[in-house]
This record gives sequence, C-alpha cells and structure tokens, in this order.
Amino acid sequence: MNGRKWASALYVTFSVTFLLLGWELLSLAVNNPALPGPLPALTAFFRELAGGLWGHFLVSSYRVVISLVISLVLAVPCGMVMGREEKVDRLVAPLIYIIYPVPKIVFLPVLMVLLGIQDASKITLITLVVFFQILVPIRDAARGINPDLVNSVKSLGARRRDIYLHVVWPAVLPEVLTSLRIASGTAIAVLFFSETISSQEGLGYYLLDAWSRAVYTEMFAGIIAMSLLGFIIYTVLEHLERWACPWKYV
Amino acid sequence: MSANGELMVRVRGLSVSYQQQNKEIPALRDVSFSVPKGSTCALIGPSGCGKSTLLYVLSGLLRSWSGEVLVDGAPVTSCRRQTALILQDYGLLPWKKVYDNVALGLDIRGESREKKYIKVKRVLNEVGLWEMRQRYPSQLSGGQRQRTGIARALALEPDLLLMDEPFSSLDALTREKLQRQLLEIWQEKRMTVVLVTHSIEEAIFLGQRIILLSGSPGRVLDIVENPRVGEAGYRKTAEFHALTTKLREKLVPERVEISGGAGRWK
Repeated sequence: MNGRKWASALYVTFSVTFLLLGWELLSLAVNNPALPGPLPALTAFFRELAGGLWGHFLVSSYRVVISLVISLVLAVPCGMVMGREEKVDRLVAPLIYIIYPVPKIVFLPVLMVLLGIQDASKITLITLVVFFQILVPIRDAARGINPDLVNSVKSLGARRRDIYLHVVWPAVLPEVLTSLRIASGTAIAVLFFSETISSQEGLGYYLLDAWSRAVYTEMFAGIIAMSLLGFIIYTVLEHLERWACPWKYV
Repeated sequence: MSANGELMVRVRGLSVSYQQQNKEIPALRDVSFSVPKGSTCALIGPSGCGKSTLLYVLSGLLRSWSGEVLVDGAPVTSCRRQTALILQDYGLLPWKKVYDNVALGLDIRGESREKKYIKVKRVLNEVGLWEMRQRYPSQLSGGQRQRTGIARALALEPDLLLMDEPFSSLDALTREKLQRQLLEIWQEKRMTVVLVTHSIEEAIFLGQRIILLSGSPGRVLDIVENPRVGEAGYRKTAEFHALTTKLREKLVPERVEISGGAGRWK
C-alpha cells in the first residue's frame, strides 16, 4: 500500500515536470511575450494572488459552485422521476429532446437583460448548461436499473417511496457524480465566457483585463487560477464519489 | 401436511399473456395446481414455459392475469406480508452491505433498530454469514450471495417462500450443500416452499409435489407426488433415480433425446 502511494506520487511528479517542460519549450519556440514560460507566469500568479487575483478567484468559485449545486438539486429528482415514471417521461422527454441540443450559451444576452449583469445571469446560464448535461445521464441510469432488483425490493413490501430511497437514488448516485465531474469543465468554460462580457469581477474579467493591458504574465496568472479552479472541483467531486459510493471501490 | 388438505396455494385456470409489440403472447394457459400448507413444491419445465411468470403471479408482483389464485385462502395481493420471493440473481442491492441487505425488508416495515438487530443476527447466524455482515455483495461468492438472499427472506418470517431457480448459477458442490441447507431450514420452520427449477434432480430432491410444465405457453403436463423429500440419503436411493428417469421421459420426448436435446436436463 505504501509502495503504491510512493509510485503514484512519482507518476504525478513526472507528469507535472513533463507539463512544465513542454510549456517552457513551447514558449521558447514561439518566442513571443504573449506566451511566457512557466517561471514568469507562476511568479506573476503568486504575486497577483496577494493582490486582486484571490478576490476574483473567490467570486468565480462562488458562481460555479452555486451553479453546480442548483443544477444538482434540480436535475437529480427530475432525472430519477423521468427514468422511473413512464407517463412523466412520455410527457417531458420530447421537450428535453428539443432543448438539449440548443447551445444554451446564446441565451446570455437575454439573461443579462432579464437578470442584470451581476451573479444571477451568470449562475442561471451555467445552471442551464449543467442541468441538461446531468439530467440526461441520470434519467438513463434510473431507467436502466435491473427490473429484478426493483421487483425483489417490491416483494419485500416496498412502496414507491422505498423504491426511490433504497434502489433508485443509490443506483443513480455514481452517475450523478460522474456526470457532474464531466460537466464541471463545461461549467467553467461557460463561466469564463459570461465573465468576459460586461463584467467587473471574476477570473474571466481579470484575464481579459490583463489581455487588454497587454500584461501577458498577469493574463497567465489568470489562466493558472482558472485551471486550478477546474482541477479543485474535479478532484473534490472524484473524492466525493469515492466517499459516497464505497461499494464501487471494494 | 394436514390430513384435510389445508392449502397454502391454490391456482385454478390461470392464464397469463404478455403484450409485446402490440401482440398478445401467451405465457401460461389454464394452469391449475395446489400446494398444501407446510409442504414443498417444485415447478419444472423448459425455458420459456412461464415458470417465473407463475412465481410473479403468486408473489403478487404481476397483476394482469385471469383465473383464480388463492394464497392461504385469500385472493393474492401484492401486500401479503408473509410471502417472500427470491429471484434468480437474489436481488441483493450492490450498495448495501450484507447486514443492510438482510435488514431491508425490516427497514421497509419500520421495525425498530433493536428488533432489527436481533432478527438480522439470528437469520445471518442460521445461514452462517454473521461474520460476513460488513461485506458488500460483490465481495461474496455465489453461494454466500444466495444465502444472503435466503436470510433476507427469512428475516421477514414468511409462511410462503417463493424461489426462482435459486441454485442454478452455483457450482455443483455448493448447490448440493445449499439444497440440503434449504431442506434443513424448511424442516425446522415448516413453511411452504415453492421453487422453480430446470434441474430434474433438484426438483426431486426438494419438491414433495413436482409440477411439470410444457413449453410456450406453459401448461401443466403432469403432477408427481414425491413424499420421501427430506429423508436422509434420499438422493442415493433407487427410487430417486427411478423418478429421475420417469420425469426425464415425461419432459423430454424420445425423439428430442436422440437429437441431443436432452443435454440440459442433466
């Protein structure tokens, strides 16, 4: 066990080194101030962190985390019910089918008019995107539950509520966390986009501001902060899955 | 078995059909049989003869059928508390440990924590799995999973136990061991057991009454009485083997046997 931990630490060190080395080589090859090497970029990142960057990081984190939570609260019950109740599904599925492929990001201008240029419009936009990305996998997972499992539990005297509690919810839980983890990347991309348009705070704003001032090391400090945000959310969700679904890892 | 023939299960003129792509496909036609209280009954027949469907009807899970089905004298309903059903893959929830799987029926009935603990401990000890209570089903062998399924059913103290091909996915040694264990449990508790099987030997070893079904749609071919079930060493007697041959002849017509179709009755 300990040996394996060491090995995995070694692999991580290797891949980080590889990444930094590639970055350095690329910046040397391009030889343009718009692509600084890792050293000046990281220096700027830590210097800026003490300045305004940390505040922007918090604002962006808040927006994306709240959006993920709202999407989860809305999509999980909807997906479970759609997957299990055929009548509901027949009614709602066509609607979902039509809305799913629409690029929700085009609604940003509409949302800015309706909800203003503060947090509300950004959170709504991210929620709109993430909601559909996790609704569909949850519905499919709920629908794909082995009917024998449901029948066995029914034969123990379970009512609808018991089926949802003991069978449907735990059956879709891994899918919930996996789809959320995958959607988190999209969530941050949408966040970036929404923060670059008539915004005064957040990492997207910070990044674009640095770009307009042509301070490329600061721009990269913003890129690093954004990547870190994505990495943290991804890792937290992965650990959450291990913690919440222990039967998957025995 | 009581002399005046008190019946646990009574089925008369049962017909079931499935809707598949707007076509009505018959699964069972005009099936009649009965099972006395406290006895065992084996349903045997080829794949697709509606054996499992019959169990679903008896358990109350399937409600669209015609005919008369009485369990303990009353028309079957889904909420009959004393009926326990064990399906082919045992229906264990992968996300619950052995203890919680066995406690599930009691959970649903809202039993208190203490009562639950006492009952679960008792049945898990009965099937010899108390030490495994903290494991997930994926960490168990096939036989242990089957015993967990049996324990979950026993925890509800049923008077009617329905089993769908309970031992079909186990290796031969485990199967024999579990068949004996099932008999022991039955002899101790004297509940009624109805089990579906495709193994002739299993039907004879476990079923005091053996109901032979023909293929799609399922009809009753014959009903064979087999009173020596539970006697020590029954499997080794000449009578056991004679009955095996008799059932095989009834279930597998001669010409099929020549073409090699008898293989799956072994």
